[in-house]
Amino acid sequence: MRWELIGKRDLLLWLAAAVLLSLALQRLGFFDAERLGRGAANVLTFARDAVPPDMGVLPLAGRALWETVQMAFAGTLLGFLLALPLGFMGTRVLSPLPLVLLSRLIVAATRTVPALLWAVLFVIVVGLGPLAGTLGLALYTVGYLGKLYSELFEGTDPEVVEALRGVGASRLHLARFVIWPESANAAISQLLFMLEYNVRASSILGFAGAGGIGFYVNIYLQTLEYTRLATLMLLILALTLAMDALSAWVRSRYLLAGR
Amino acid sequence: MRDSCPVRAHDIWFAYRGEDWVLKGVSLEVPRGTFMAIMGPSGAGKSTLLRLLAGLLRPQRGSVQVLGHVAHNGRSPRSRARVGYIPQQLGLVRNVSALENVLMGALGRVRGLAPYLGLFPREEVARAMSLLEDLGIGHKARDKAFQLSGGERQRVAIARALMQQPEIVLADEFVSDLDLPRASEVLSTMRELGRAQGVTFVVNMHELPLVHDYADLVTVLRDGEVTFRGPARAVTWAELQEAPA
Repeated sequence: MRWELIGKRDLLLWLAAAVLLSLALQRLGFFDAERLGRGAANVLTFARDAVPPDMGVLPLAGRALWETVQMAFAGTLLGFLLALPLGFMGTRVLSPLPLVLLSRLIVAATRTVPALLWAVLFVIVVGLGPLAGTLGLALYTVGYLGKLYSELFEGTDPEVVEALRGVGASRLHLARFVIWPESANAAISQLLFMLEYNVRASSILGFAGAGGIGFYVNIYLQTLEYTRLATLMLLILALTLAMDALSAWVRSRYLLAGR
Repeated sequence: MRDSCPVRAHDIWFAYRGEDWVLKGVSLEVPRGTFMAIMGPSGAGKSTLLRLLAGLLRPQRGSVQVLGHVAHNGRSPRSRARVGYIPQQLGLVRNVSALENVLMGALGRVRGLAPYLGLFPREEVARAMSLLEDLGIGHKARDKAFQLSGGERQRVAIARALMQQPEIVLADEFVSDLDLPRASEVLSTMRELGRAQGVTFVVNMHELPLVHDYADLVTVLRDGEVTFRGPARAVTWAELQEAPA
């Protein structure tokens, strides 16, 4: 049987990617069998030390978890409220070019800094506690939603925009009556995704002293109290699953039905 | 004094790129209160002509005057509102109700922040409802645009254009997706409502029987040039198929 290679370029790309991956893994120590073996043994030791989880910390962890949820919720909504006007400002059919560029610059600069670093910066500015974490999450949210929203708004059917322009609609009218209703489902879906992400992210902001359950995770890690740490990890897992379920329900109930 | 021809195009040339002319020296005059059909094969430049008349494009040469103003040149929202434009895909906002889509036709004259909160003057809401009822879809007023059938969406687009209380309606092949009886029904209602308001229509159309029934005047375009202009009754398939003179 004779074979013929179809898509030679694709194969070359895959091969190049495989070579690069191998080089990176080798450099990072993934082929160091002795080290990996030692790591596997450590995992078993950690697992043994963490069982059974210490439920005595539940009241304290519950309060910290509630604070985490509040931080994520407030940070996401504050970020959304800032990202929405920036998204409109970054949309070419709505704004003159200098404003579009300014909006994109602000959003790109905000996105460059990770949530944890924003939290550290706000700890310096407003002191230790959940306020710093909330502000950090809000700015991180602005960076992502601002970009996603301006791209989403740009994708609005130009014929609908043209039709409304013909009616005598102003740019603000276009934002309110065309671009937002046409994009709302996707925008809310992205907002929910951001909320899920921020719930996970807010769990570690406490490492930087920015409030929430991460503060206790850090303490129990440093004091080697793995049974208590295990309880916190289970709570974070439960919260993440609950958030996923909640946003899936909102999407199916309110967003997919509107398509 | 009101111009006897609210739509005038004089020797317009238009290209989307370089010297690739889509329209070559097209001139047009539409008398007030008439229904002019623009006909011609696909790619003849009909949609481009309509977008030029709507002020959405600027000709490279020649001039387009609509209601005494240069069409593309920064007309005020109030003056834009006097020209209703129905694009080929209708340009409805899918995720809002038929009633809200029609109310958007009043945006040119309803000022202030109230519309942003979904508040419109009661008489405007009544006018929008009355238009939907006249077009036979009053019972669908609260349905979202994406839930409506093709024919119902066309009626909503007509209602939105008429809601502007326009002097001119420009419509781009907006009945081409409907079968003849339904298209005829839609055109008949539109024309009847428009006549009551003294509206001038410029409509891109393909179907000759509909043109005979509803249009007063016809302009035929072919390869960006006018090959026929005259009374609707005078146009035959031959005019539509002949090469430019």
